Amino acid sequence: MEPLLEIEDLYAGVEGKEIIKGFNLVINPGEIHAIMGPNGAGKSTLSNVLCGKPGYKVTSGRVKFKGKDLLKMSAEERAREGLFMFMQYPVDIPGVSVTSFLKHAVNAVRKHRMEPELDTMEFIKLVREEGRKLGLTPEMIKRDVNVGFSGGEKKKLETLQMSVLKPDLAILDEADSGLDVDAIKIVADGVNALHTQDKGLLIITHYQKLLNYIVPHFVHIYAGGKIVTTGGRELALELEEKGYAAFVKDNQ
Amino acid sequence: MSKLLHDIKLIGDDIPWLKDMRSAGRDAFAVSGIPQPKAEAWKYTKPIRFFAEDFTPAPRGEGCLNPNKNLPFNACKIYFENGVFSSCDDDLPQGVEVLPLIEAIMFKPEIRGKIGALADVSKHPFAALNQAYLGEGVYIKVAAGTKVEKPLAIINHITADQELRQHSLRNLVIMDDSSQAEIMEYYCYDGELKSSYFVNMVNEIYISENASLHHYKLQSEAYKAAHIALNSVFVAASGEYKSFCLQKGADLSRNETKVILSAEYAKAEVDAAYIMNGWATIDTTTDIEHLKPFTQSSQLVKGVIGGQAKGVFQGKIHIAPQAVKTEGYQLHKAMLLSDEAEIDVKPELEIFADDVKCSHGAASGELNADQLFYMRSRGIGEEEARQILIDAYLNDVIAKIDNQEIRQFMSMAANPLKERE
Repeated sequence: MEPLLEIEDLYAGVEGKEIIKGFNLVINPGEIHAIMGPNGAGKSTLSNVLCGKPGYKVTSGRVKFKGKDLLKMSAEERAREGLFMFMQYPVDIPGVSVTSFLKHAVNAVRKHRMEPELDTMEFIKLVREEGRKLGLTPEMIKRDVNVGFSGGEKKKLETLQMSVLKPDLAILDEADSGLDVDAIKIVADGVNALHTQDKGLLIITHYQKLLNYIVPHFVHIYAGGKIVTTGGRELALELEEKGYAAFVKDNQ
Repeated sequence: MSKLLHDIKLIGDDIPWLKDMRSAGRDAFAVSGIPQPKAEAWKYTKPIRFFAEDFTPAPRGEGCLNPNKNLPFNACKIYFENGVFSSCDDDLPQGVEVLPLIEAIMFKPEIRGKIGALADVSKHPFAALNQAYLGEGVYIKVAAGTKVEKPLAIINHITADQELRQHSLRNLVIMDDSSQAEIMEYYCYDGELKSSYFVNMVNEIYISENASLHHYKLQSEAYKAAHIALNSVFVAASGEYKSFCLQKGADLSRNETKVILSAEYAKAEVDAAYIMNGWATIDTTTDIEHLKPFTQSSQLVKGVIGGQAKGVFQGKIHIAPQAVKTEGYQLHKAMLLSDEAEIDVKPELEIFADDVKCSHGAASGELNADQLFYMRSRGIGEEEARQILIDAYLNDVIAKIDNQEIRQFMSMAANPLKERE
């Protein structure tokens, strides 16, 4: 079975500053991985490098996504191939409705997969149905992307996008930041419902709270630009108890 | 003889007042010539660059075909082919009169005194040139109390196969008391994309008491063309003039709108959008005169400028001393898509009355990189994402168009990706 994601000895950074230093990770289909790190560990840099944000430079190493060279792909190609970035700070787009935005995105992905574009009625039905599960009303779906959305609503909208785009690998970047417990549950239920044996999840988080709801198979502690410790679910709990300092120090 | 002024045989030279008007136009243009870069009203647009070569009026009958451009909206169509009246749908709504201008000049003596009265040849060089060739165009009259359901579409189609032609057209629109109508002007071409021609338009529009005209325009000329238009509008008490102009073609384009709010409760809304790439200059100039109390005007103009193109907005609001309790608002916004794109904005407020509400604003920006990336991260290609954002940017001004079909048509025209679908 081919891994979904293979990161090999990755060095990368932004604005001339090297932040990721010798990062390795393999995610196989069906696996849920969590990367936990203290502030400033380079968690955002990692997610930005993986989704191809302009400005982030890879100096060496390899990243393969479903066997293909991820680093050679543009941001949109990565999305079309089945990579999804659940953003920490989703962006407002005044003048573009959620429906229209999603329709462009879904059709771009479908076109790439040589599938016929969805017709508008079919599509609206799909978005409404998926939105309803997340507590997003038809009225909210008609609104402009993230404009006037609360923190929780923005994360629900990220979840909605994930559910209509059906990625093979989703990267959740601080998905629980700014959410109360009820909203975390809704988002987590949404994400869990999409997780199947052929898909992968990578959760990047500072706190282990979200991992109560989306239970990982592997937990990695990330510091100084690389993974310093790997364990199972229990590692996150241990980390919560002891703090990052204990783990980071052990490995220096 | 000045450049652009040519001795050609014109129909109607045997009508003394028409001949006099033409002479007056010639004389005025002979004095002013093509505006020089130092002319205040043209200092950003610099039309002289376009007229290095001369343009000659088309001989009569050249390419007088019916272009039969299909419009994706329901309208009563009036066609001009290469600057010559070609045809008009025969199912004109009741109360609407449409005649080629030259026939109106011959058979409607009452229009004498209306033509040329609004477009002042001493202030507008190109209107003077237009008057020198006066005769082509359309006369539209909407009878008192008539509410026209279908828009009247004036389609000016150029078969761009003749180099260096100039086309002077003048439309005279008379809206009698309490009448309502919509007029759409559509400028388009077929043939050589790079053909150089010059369209010189003047619209003179009279809106009587309590009448309302919604005036739409799409300028989609060939890339190397020049399109210069003056819309001169007179609004009587409680009358309304509402316009929207999208300029997206030509190398040199100007849409100038002068509105005189002559009596109480007269109202004007002058909205516009422009979208331009390459090396073109695209100019939106407005001049709203509030002469009496309780008059209102508003303007929203939005532009998207890329390549090395230049956008110009000049907006004047004049409030006369007795025009108290008036409102005048103006907002211009532009989005620059490249480092070499340029916009020049000149708002002018001349307020001589107390107790008025008046404001103007201008803003410029560029495409938001975070929005662009957010869309790309969802699989939307960069080109498409840019176009979606441009669309969203122009959305609020296009939304000002009341007629839904025309609004859709304009929205398509502003978005080349949609046009392809």
